[in-house]
Amino acid sequence: MFNILHQIPIAAVHDEIPLAAFLGLSLAMFALGSLGVLIRKNPVVVFMCIELMLNAVNLSFLSFAAYPSAAVAARDPFASAMAGQSMVICVMAIAAAEVAVGLGIIMAIFRYRNQVDVDDMNTMRG
Amino acid sequence: MEQEIFKNIWWVLALPIFGFLIQAFTGKIVIDNLGPKIGRRVMGALAVLPIAASFGLATQITAALVKMDEHHRSEILTLFEWITVGNLSIPFEVRVDALSMTMVLIITGIGTLIHLYATGYMAEEPDYPRFFTYLNLFVAAMLILVLGNNLALLFVGWEGVGVCSYLLIGFWYKDKANSFASNKAFIVNRVGDWGLTLGMFMLAFMAAIVLGQDGTEPRWLSYDVLLPNAAKIAAGFDPWLLAIACILLFIGAMGKSAQFPLYIWLPDAMAGPTPVSALIHAATMVTSGVFLLNRMSPFFALSPTAGAVVAITGAITALLGALIAFGQTDIKKVLAFSTVSQLGYMFIACGVGAYWVGLFHVATHAFFKALLFLGSGAVIHAMAHNQDMRNYGKLLKYLPITGSTMLVGWMAIAGLPFMSGAFSKEEILLESFASKLSWYGLPIGQIVFGVALLVAVLTALYMSRMTYMTFFSGDERWRLIPAHAHGHDDHHHDDHHHDHDHAHDHHHGPDTHNFFYTDAEMSAIAAATPHEHHHELDESHTPHEVPPSMFVPLIVLAALSVIGGGWLFFGVNLAEWLHSAGVVVHHHEEVKSIPYFIQKTLAKPIFWGATAAFLVGVLGGWAIYGKKLPENDGMDTSKWKSWRKAAANQFGVDKLFTQGSIRGGDGFGKISWGFDKAIIDGIVNGTGLLSKTFGKLFSGLQTGYVRGYATLMQLGVAALLIYFVYQIVAIGGGK
Amino acid sequence: MTLNQVAFIILAVIALLGGIGVVFLKSPVRSALALVINFITLGMVYFMLGHQMLGISQIVVYAGAIMVLFLFVIMILRSQHPEEDTSLWKDRRFAFGLLGGALTVALIYNFVIQPTQSTYGATFDRDYGTPQAIGKVFFTQYVYPFEIISVLLLLGVVGSIMLAKRKF
Repeated sequence: MFNILHQIPIAAVHDEIPLAAFLGLSLAMFALGSLGVLIRKNPVVVFMCIELMLNAVNLSFLSFAAYPSAAVAARDPFASAMAGQSMVICVMAIAAAEVAVGLGIIMAIFRYRNQVDVDDMNTMRG
Repeated sequence: MEQEIFKNIWWVLALPIFGFLIQAFTGKIVIDNLGPKIGRRVMGALAVLPIAASFGLATQITAALVKMDEHHRSEILTLFEWITVGNLSIPFEVRVDALSMTMVLIITGIGTLIHLYATGYMAEEPDYPRFFTYLNLFVAAMLILVLGNNLALLFVGWEGVGVCSYLLIGFWYKDKANSFASNKAFIVNRVGDWGLTLGMFMLAFMAAIVLGQDGTEPRWLSYDVLLPNAAKIAAGFDPWLLAIACILLFIGAMGKSAQFPLYIWLPDAMAGPTPVSALIHAATMVTSGVFLLNRMSPFFALSPTAGAVVAITGAITALLGALIAFGQTDIKKVLAFSTVSQLGYMFIACGVGAYWVGLFHVATHAFFKALLFLGSGAVIHAMAHNQDMRNYGKLLKYLPITGSTMLVGWMAIAGLPFMSGAFSKEEILLESFASKLSWYGLPIGQIVFGVALLVAVLTALYMSRMTYMTFFSGDERWRLIPAHAHGHDDHHHDDHHHDHDHAHDHHHGPDTHNFFYTDAEMSAIAAATPHEHHHELDESHTPHEVPPSMFVPLIVLAALSVIGGGWLFFGVNLAEWLHSAGVVVHHHEEVKSIPYFIQKTLAKPIFWGATAAFLVGVLGGWAIYGKKLPENDGMDTSKWKSWRKAAANQFGVDKLFTQGSIRGGDGFGKISWGFDKAIIDGIVNGTGLLSKTFGKLFSGLQTGYVRGYATLMQLGVAALLIYFVYQIVAIGGGK
Repeated sequence: MTLNQVAFIILAVIALLGGIGVVFLKSPVRSALALVINFITLGMVYFMLGHQMLGISQIVVYAGAIMVLFLFVIMILRSQHPEEDTSLWKDRRFAFGLLGGALTVALIYNFVIQPTQSTYGATFDRDYGTPQAIGKVFFTQYVYPFEIISVLLLLGVVGSIMLAKRKF
């Protein structure tokens, strides 16, 4: 009833855009994110790249939720869609909490070190 | 058919043990309450009585044994099941047969006489009850040795007499040299025990393999299982295996019976009191080796190699002992080496196969050697504990009884025809001459005969030397020692370490190196110990005859030395008597009557040979030592000096083995320590080093470098992805 | 070329540009802004997929709250230390990362994306993305995760406050 999409005349995407497109986007974002984690020196930026990866995964979940496979479609596609969305909501919540705590940690560390370099955080070594 | 009389054998065993316990627990109390004089008499009586009672019972038992048929002349009595393991059973069983009862009679009989003698000899000893504790314990252990029906009990007794020998040699332990001597005795003995144990185990194994696999016969160490089946057991294995087992047993005998090279403890053992030397190191303990060989004669008879080894070792020992005796000036040392030599004789007999002759010589040797030792003890007692024969001379005048009995003993050992010593010596010569024993083509019997004959001459010679120097001689040599004031007392030491034969090393006091006591405590102890004053031997000394408790045993033993041999030979017919106990006897003459016997003997060339040896020895000794010491008689003894010195040092044998084993042990210890340090510590530490290295290796991964960790995580994820994708694509879904 | 396809292409390109910007822009502030762009476009893509609620949530939560937080922290840290990333291209891990990333891309494309280019029936209730549907599910089927997430958020709040305090 409150489905906006029913009011917005956007045709169903399922026939026009293949699942692979969304997954490709997700893949590219994930790859970029992981690359960034390895490359960047600033820990905050590393964190942001992690967020990028998380979002890529969210996109992937939602794509699969919207594009159920043949076997799932035969059973209960609605439940599968709901499962995908619920997962993404959880991920979002967790990411939020994680960002809060993580940034707090970074701030706490850099309060004492006055540096912004990931490579300097190497005291736990053997 | 178990006669009641045989049950008394338990009393024979138990009485010395009771004596030991009484002496141990009541000795001090009695002496403290009754005073030294009466208390010691009481304890002495309490020491002699059990042994005498055992002797009486043993005589009864033997009489009963004689009446039995000669083919069944043995009785086995079991007290309890001692060891039962798997298929092996070792009960505490006693064997009453001719061989064991002969030994029991010797042990208890001569034991009684020596106990009696010791009550007189040790009368002034403060530690009187301790001495008789050990002495009774020794008799008990020796009885277990001879009476046991299996090798395990023999071993128990074996060890027991070894312990008692240690305790008695080191009786005056406060003098360190005595402790060293007793240690030496025990340790050298132990080397022999190694051989005995291995030989025992080998025989038990062989018996178990041949006889007892199915559990029907569990007593693999018992004589009544081993000996009748000896041939069967030996047939089941290679001959050299049996030879090795017998030689191992003989090594045990070597240790106990002082054969070359394990004789080195016996001269040092003279550090013990003279009764100990007489009982243990002349009559009984040292003969346990001969007893062992007699017992195991069925096995030895099956192995000519073992017999040859025994005979040759005996011959070497006999010769060596005789040669060394010439260089000794201590009267007890001469007798010690004489014992070594005579023991060699016994093993010559056993080696050539005449086992009963070995035991015969054991008996006669017990008579005259105990006599000689006790007599020498009397002489030492009379001469203020001075043992150097060069200080004696013309003592027959002062010590008539001692002297005459010693002369009898001298004649016996030298081989006066028809005395006990002559009988057994002749038999040994006979048997070795007639023996067909050959080894690698060498006629062992005849070689050994030649050595035995030579040793007979030497025996007569050095015993004559001893007798002449002590009892005859032209002058009373101790008169030449100037009198000196006696400020200190002689603690009892019959002998020192043989290197310091004549200088009295004063290791007085209980603790010369302050191991246990400080100096102040030591002088307090010295002040509290009651001193018995003896004056030194000097020109003013007049020897006095010994008390009756000491010369009565001498007389009895002298009588035995005269008639014992003959009685045993054809009164008892020792060969047949022992044969009934399972001892291997090759041939013995039928003795019908005394005149026939005498006639037959006179016809034998061996008899004349032995008599000639006797005469050469006695007369030659007279020629050299009769009037005075050779030096004083104008003889040129300078060329004897090096020889004498070598003989006095036992031709370096003692030094070689003692120092050799000490150095060897030391060296081996050093090598082991090096091995331990390098290899074992190396392994242990190396393991630690290994884990440390590995740890260092892996700790290289812990860089602390966050991006490095992230990279590794990436790689891990990629690997996982590949795996899962592979599952999906290749296998079709996977799990 | 339908409208959906065009829209998707435009959104995807912008999102990717944003992603690239996050990784390769030197200044952290600019990286953060690029990430904001990425998030917003991603929200729109969610819309296209029919996830209305989540699309809005993405923009509100991620771009609105999380990125603001990021910017706060960047500002604070930048004020302490004005250094920036240098020698990005010379970092050896750059090459490694590039390689790894390329490998991952190739693998996943080859084994996952291509095989999934098959048909699916997609005719089901289009109401799956509405807040009503999500709310219904969250209070019935997934109520436990819901509650636990709320606890988690509480933890996050408490933890971040603890960390941020100067003294305990």
